[in-house]
Amino acid sequence: MNKNHTMTVRFLLGLTLGLLPLFAAAEGAKLDETPIPTDQASIQRGAEEVITVCSGCHGLKYIKYRNLLTLGLTKDKVDGWRGSHSMDASLPPQMPGEIAKASFGVEPPDLSLMAASREGGGHYLYAYLTGYHMEDGKLSNSVFPVTRMPDVLGLSMMKDPQQRAKAEKTAKDISAFLVWAADPHAQQRKHMGYYVLAFVFVMTILLYLWKKQIWKEVDRQPKIE
Amino acid sequence: MIKKTISWIDQRFPLTAFVKHELTGYPTPRNLSYWWNFGFLAGFVLVLQIVTGIFLAMHYKADSHLAFDSIQHIMRDVNYGWLLRYLHSTGASAFFVVIYVHMARTLYYGSYRKPRELLWWTGQLLLLLLMAISFMGYLLPWGQMSYWGAEVITNLFRATPFIGDQVVVWLRGDFSVGDETLTRFFALHFLFPFIIAGAVVIHLVALHTVRSSNPSGINLADKDNIPFHPYFTIKDMFGLGVYLIIFFIFVFFYPNTFIEAANNIPANPMQTPPHIEPEWYFLPFYAILRSVPDLVGGVVAMGLSVMIFAAMPYMDRSRIPGGARYRPWYRLLFYVFIADIFLLGYVGAQAVTPQSIILGRVASLVYFGVFLVLPFMSKVEERMLIKRGLPPAVKELLEGEKA
Repeated sequence: MNKNHTMTVRFLLGLTLGLLPLFAAAEGAKLDETPIPTDQASIQRGAEEVITVCSGCHGLKYIKYRNLLTLGLTKDKVDGWRGSHSMDASLPPQMPGEIAKASFGVEPPDLSLMAASREGGGHYLYAYLTGYHMEDGKLSNSVFPVTRMPDVLGLSMMKDPQQRAKAEKTAKDISAFLVWAADPHAQQRKHMGYYVLAFVFVMTILLYLWKKQIWKEVDRQPKIE
Repeated sequence: MIKKTISWIDQRFPLTAFVKHELTGYPTPRNLSYWWNFGFLAGFVLVLQIVTGIFLAMHYKADSHLAFDSIQHIMRDVNYGWLLRYLHSTGASAFFVVIYVHMARTLYYGSYRKPRELLWWTGQLLLLLLMAISFMGYLLPWGQMSYWGAEVITNLFRATPFIGDQVVVWLRGDFSVGDETLTRFFALHFLFPFIIAGAVVIHLVALHTVRSSNPSGINLADKDNIPFHPYFTIKDMFGLGVYLIIFFIFVFFYPNTFIEAANNIPANPMQTPPHIEPEWYFLPFYAILRSVPDLVGGVVAMGLSVMIFAAMPYMDRSRIPGGARYRPWYRLLFYVFIADIFLLGYVGAQAVTPQSIILGRVASLVYFGVFLVLPFMSKVEERMLIKRGLPPAVKELLEGEKA
């Protein structure tokens, strides 16, 4: 590549990249990028919170009671939650959809894929759960203003910083559990990924050396432009 | 024993002759760069898509009431179902990356020129098939984006003269996208890979007739050709390794990059998502579609923007060898075109605003402008380059390869 050539490329790249921000539309409220925990303890606490509180209205149709055992929750605990439901039953909402619809005006959505179906995933959920505040004497949510869900964590009325911190931690746990629920094999996937990548990496190095070996004679010949 | 078996086969089927002609004796220019790896990579991705696709089809249910759930069944309950699906969904994007690079290489080095027109056109056919198959495959998860994407794209066929409305109903099997559409898209999505495989064979037969082009753009003499095997089999394997590293990073660590968040919400015909956006590989063409205010005009412009590549062998009238390498004006045009495609892709992803419309129209004009300018520019450039004389390196090479 000659110098002239490189300059052209740089110029064009610069031009394109330089133009982009000019036209970038405002992307709506920026989400809080606080990391969502991925440790088992947080996910377990989140599971407890979701099953004892959220599932009053929301179901998780793609999560079965059996799946909770893979989180390290004890069988006794899961048995207590499922009552007469089978181990292979999905987590149901306590309140039937039609009744919930009558009181809230909208059927509470299923939570199994909530983290995957919102741009921002766990960050969105955390920002949403903690986004309740009072605006002109009315309850409002900064992430999803038209929501019909009440302020379950009570953050809109909470003043005490210690209490607020505790509620925010709960929001994080809930988000952590829902992130797991949307993609329960994520950990296994990443774990496997390291081995696969390590294998492919070594294989590629060996292939490169093999290629060098085979091409040795050809590489010695003068280069063709 | 092995010798005997092979000779037994050879009397009945040209096995040895075939292997010699296509592999161990197939002459390949020794100066091919790594840009020439992408054809093989495309073949690899095709095979991976077919294999993962067949296994996915064993668990998938093509029924509008069951499709979404069956995907979650694959993701959660089927052993390594998540791996199958992520390989397949990431593979679709990888296919387009590989094919676009493969096309860009052809454009840069002028590999579409005589005598490779038919090779280029079979490639164009493969591009169309790939676009069709990916579009139909995207409906199968039956999410919001699947549904509304299919609704918007099938609606474009309303632009067909006289029978537009009937064509749309005929495609959908219903008045709007529904169960009928899903089952037929699934059937066709299963059929098309085999049509593509057939078209690939034709592409390869054409390739092995005219042989690979090379970065110099000059047909190299026998002394500078080396057998495909083992030289390029090993080079392709090494390229495959590099490809797999990048591919697996996405599959195992960022698999949701290519799955729109809104597509994790089941299809709901009663609720249009606020922002319908096609997959990234259609964005530049989608931006061209949106840049024309009239439906028919937009569809024609979009169709033309895909099909115009077929005219390249005739629009590029220069006979200067080496594609963009020895042709400064053509090279500039090439980079303008590539930058413009990125710009169009960016515009296609934006919500419609006055700025994005203006930007989209300018970028669309540049897109077609490049092709419009090319026939004249290539001739003027050729005249200029002949007057100035070819670079000494090219002259020397031309002399050397005559023998």
